[in-house]
Amino acid sequence: MTRLPWPALAATALIAVLAILAPWLGLPNPVTMDVPHRLAGPSAAHWLGQDEFGRDVLTRLIWGARVSLSVAVSAAALACLIGTALGITGGYLRGIAEILTLRSIDVLLCFPPLLLALLVVTLLGPGATTLIPVLALVYLPGFTRVAYAGVLTARSQDYVEAMRVLGAGSGRIMLRTILPNIGGPVLVQFSLAMAAAVVLESGLSFLGLGVVPPAPSWGLMIGAARATMAQAPLLLLWPCLALTLTVLVMNALCDGLRDAVDPHPTYRPAARRLLDAIAPGLLPTPKAVLDLAHLTVEIDTPAGPIHPVRDVSLQVFPGETLAIVGESGSGKSVTSLAITGLLPGAAHVTEGAAFLDGTDLLRLPEESLRKLRGDKIAMVFQDPGSSLNPVHRIGAQIAEAIRAHRPLSDKAARAEAIALLRRVGLPDPDSRARAYPHELSGGQRQRVMIAIAIANHPSLLIADEPTTALDVTIQAQILELLSDLKRERGLALLFITHALPVVAEIADRVAVMYAGEIVETGPTAEVFLAPHHPYTAALLRSAPDEEGPPPVGIPGIVPPPTALPPGCTFAPRCPRAIPECTAAPPALRSAGAGRLTRCIRWNA
Amino acid sequence: MITTEHLGKSFPIGGLFNRHALHAVRDVSITVGRGETLGLVGESGSGKSTVGRLMLGLLPATTGRVLFEGQDLAAARPAQMRTLRRRLQLVFQDPYASLDPRRTIGAQIADALVIHKLVSPSFRPARVAALLDQVGLAPDHAARYPHQFSGGQRQRIGIARALASGPDFLVADEPVSALDVSVQAQVLALLAGLRAELGLAMLFISHDLPVVRHLADRVAVMYLGRIMEEGPVKAVFATPRHPYTQALLSAAPSLHPERRRARTLLQGDPPSPANPPSGCVFRTRCPIAAPACASTIPALAGLTHRVACIRV
Ligand SMILES: Nc1ncnc2c1ncn2[C@@H]1O[C@H](COP(=O)(O)OP(=O)(O)OP(=O)(O)O)[C@@H](O)[C@H]1O
Ligand code: SF4
Ligand code: SF4
Ligand SMILES: [Mg+2]
Repeated sequence: MTRLPWPALAATALIAVLAILAPWLGLPNPVTMDVPHRLAGPSAAHWLGQDEFGRDVLTRLIWGARVSLSVAVSAAALACLIGTALGITGGYLRGIAEILTLRSIDVLLCFPPLLLALLVVTLLGPGATTLIPVLALVYLPGFTRVAYAGVLTARSQDYVEAMRVLGAGSGRIMLRTILPNIGGPVLVQFSLAMAAAVVLESGLSFLGLGVVPPAPSWGLMIGAARATMAQAPLLLLWPCLALTLTVLVMNALCDGLRDAVDPHPTYRPAARRLLDAIAPGLLPTPKAVLDLAHLTVEIDTPAGPIHPVRDVSLQVFPGETLAIVGESGSGKSVTSLAITGLLPGAAHVTEGAAFLDGTDLLRLPEESLRKLRGDKIAMVFQDPGSSLNPVHRIGAQIAEAIRAHRPLSDKAARAEAIALLRRVGLPDPDSRARAYPHELSGGQRQRVMIAIAIANHPSLLIADEPTTALDVTIQAQILELLSDLKRERGLALLFITHALPVVAEIADRVAVMYAGEIVETGPTAEVFLAPHHPYTAALLRSAPDEEGPPPVGIPGIVPPPTALPPGCTFAPRCPRAIPECTAAPPALRSAGAGRLTRCIRWNA
Repeated sequence: MITTEHLGKSFPIGGLFNRHALHAVRDVSITVGRGETLGLVGESGSGKSTVGRLMLGLLPATTGRVLFEGQDLAAARPAQMRTLRRRLQLVFQDPYASLDPRRTIGAQIADALVIHKLVSPSFRPARVAALLDQVGLAPDHAARYPHQFSGGQRQRIGIARALASGPDFLVADEPVSALDVSVQAQVLALLAGLRAELGLAMLFISHDLPVVRHLADRVAVMYLGRIMEEGPVKAVFATPRHPYTQALLSAAPSLHPERRRARTLLQGDPPSPANPPSGCVFRTRCPIAAPACASTIPALAGLTHRVACIRV
């Protein structure tokens, strides 16, 4: 649980204690008049002065808080209770309950709140006791709507369905499961309603429709002070100040509470550090399209810096597919984001170099890097839906991608876009170019993404889980397309995935990542046939294969980057570990032609 | 133990004026026996989850019926349904969304005990501890919140919750798809062990064919709301008879591409379930479709290995 909002809590407590203890504070009677001293300024006996009847202003302010706050709190609480109940019932039960609650609330919403309040007060007569239900009525719709919206989101959650599966009744689900999960927004609504109720109460009292004089209330005080504004302007200041402060404190408190009751730890990244100017890494190996050397990425977290990618070196050659395979959290995606300069704000490269055809991407100004993206480096991501602009036709989006990097006429770009769509196998490309992304299936959208990626003849294509969201038969089509394109255009393809069978199908070489490091690399067929790292071997055994033996899991879990074990990061799960393994982090060592492993016992 | 007869489900879709029905599931007749696991495979939107929810009585069927030990779920009175709820359980796909983030996992596992008044309050902690132990978690984890667990651990918690009420039939809807492969195998082994130990009947929904191959006794292949082929796992995987099953099996990537069956790459995408083709729903992508396929709806025919295709 996060920290409680102590300052706001203390301030609220102070106001509340003052209001509650008013009768026992030894203050003068708030309605005792002292006409001779009317409008007297501050004095030792009357710290804030006296009002138009000579009554003590401080006393009236505190007694006023008592009235104003109790009216506001009771009204907000009443509205919250009834409104939330209505919203939850309507939202959870739907059907007729929804019509009864939501529609009647909609009718209420049609009246401007002030008008509604005026109407009821005129009917029932003014006074603090009428004010409470009046204000409650005014703020009721807000709670109902917030609760209703919250329930609609919550009811589709699996954990709500889980309660139904268990046979829990509706009442139980609404109270125990849904209510706590919409607590945040309702609490915020409560702070807003309470603050607004304080203001509205003052407003109504000011108009003579709320608290009846001579009882003290901030609204009445403001109203009275207005008449004597010329003679005693300070009289207007005090109640206004009290009002503003109270509203501010209440909002701060409710915000703080909402954060405090949320069991999720909040993560606030620290400010981005300047990219350090460490000397460039090794000289680029000739021929490699991408040459990544000793890449280390650091992310600032509240618990200190973590290194989700450490000392990653790899090369991709033209016409070759290199697959990076690893489980979630192994650092695959962070590696690709670092290469393309798309790391999130809190993350930065602390070491290493990434040469693309000889240029170091990691030391390129953002502007030049932006020009390279979509031109020499192209990317395809897992979710094709979110990478396309939903309001533009796909043909136009491809044409735009072409024209962003090449000086082509609109017409020529469109013609090329259609040719690309044909190349990636979109049926009927001439008319489909006019389709919007939502009119296409997931597989077709991925084809469009690939068309955009290859539009400017990139030398490197980075595909991050490009088929994970697709069905098997569609996945097979997309994998086929990618390897055709690679062959035909001499593309270097960096393919990131967690699925070993996909690696076996598409990759010439494979790099296996574990807990931020490359633990083994080599030609795919050789690595899969005879892995030289215990993790690779265990991973292969855990992958279900139709013909092979039943899959065997790896005991334990991948260590989080916040708690890396000493020495070999795989040691706690490794069946071959010996004491030496935890002594020092093993370096990548050569294990036969074209093969590297980070295991000290690979040939033992 | 649990049987569906010509089960169908349609959802109303469209606005006020062009309202029509989306037939998510049509004419599904399957049986799961005691201690048996039926794998249900198919592509996304083929209706697998809908079948699972229909079989648990969580969704009312539009046509046909579900019989649990001979009793029609739709005809059960509320009191009977409460007992049935206890015996029919579900394991969810997403281990993150299926646990209430605001309650301890012990409280969530105990829900079933409380709702069905299974053990007296003083014995609840002991029962929760035993359940946690059964799924391979430490008993003192009961006081923690879901966000303190990894995906695989959360899935174990989800399984413990489903087991708490002592069910006889379990629907596992893609229980391992959201997990890492090394963890997947752990959870699959857990499910297989529990099934043997408790004699559970299980509907195992998955799009991962090799996983089904290892866990299920029989498998049913769905396409666009209908069952295309159904039979013993060994027979269906060794000699798939429906053209769709053949294509599906050949499309699955394999660790040994050189040993994989010759690939029949299907053209195009599955049609929308809101507007399925006439006759055989697979005919728009079927490599051996004939004109007759457009006019006849092939019935699922055969004894133990059943196929719905007029050309088999
Ligand atoms: N409540 C609903 N209202 C309207 N349509 C629905 C509803 N639930 C499911 N559908 C539709 O029914 C069809 C079958 O859905 P279902 O969720 O059963 O598929 P599935 O095989 O489980 O898919 P996936 O593999 O993606 O989980 C889909 O087209 C889906 O959009
Ligand atoms: S170095 Fe030791 S612990 Fe690490 S993988 Fe090799 S044998 Fe296992
Ligand atoms: S019935 Fe016709 S279209 Fe359907 S699977 Fe058989 S051959 Fe193909
Ligand atoms: Mg599903």
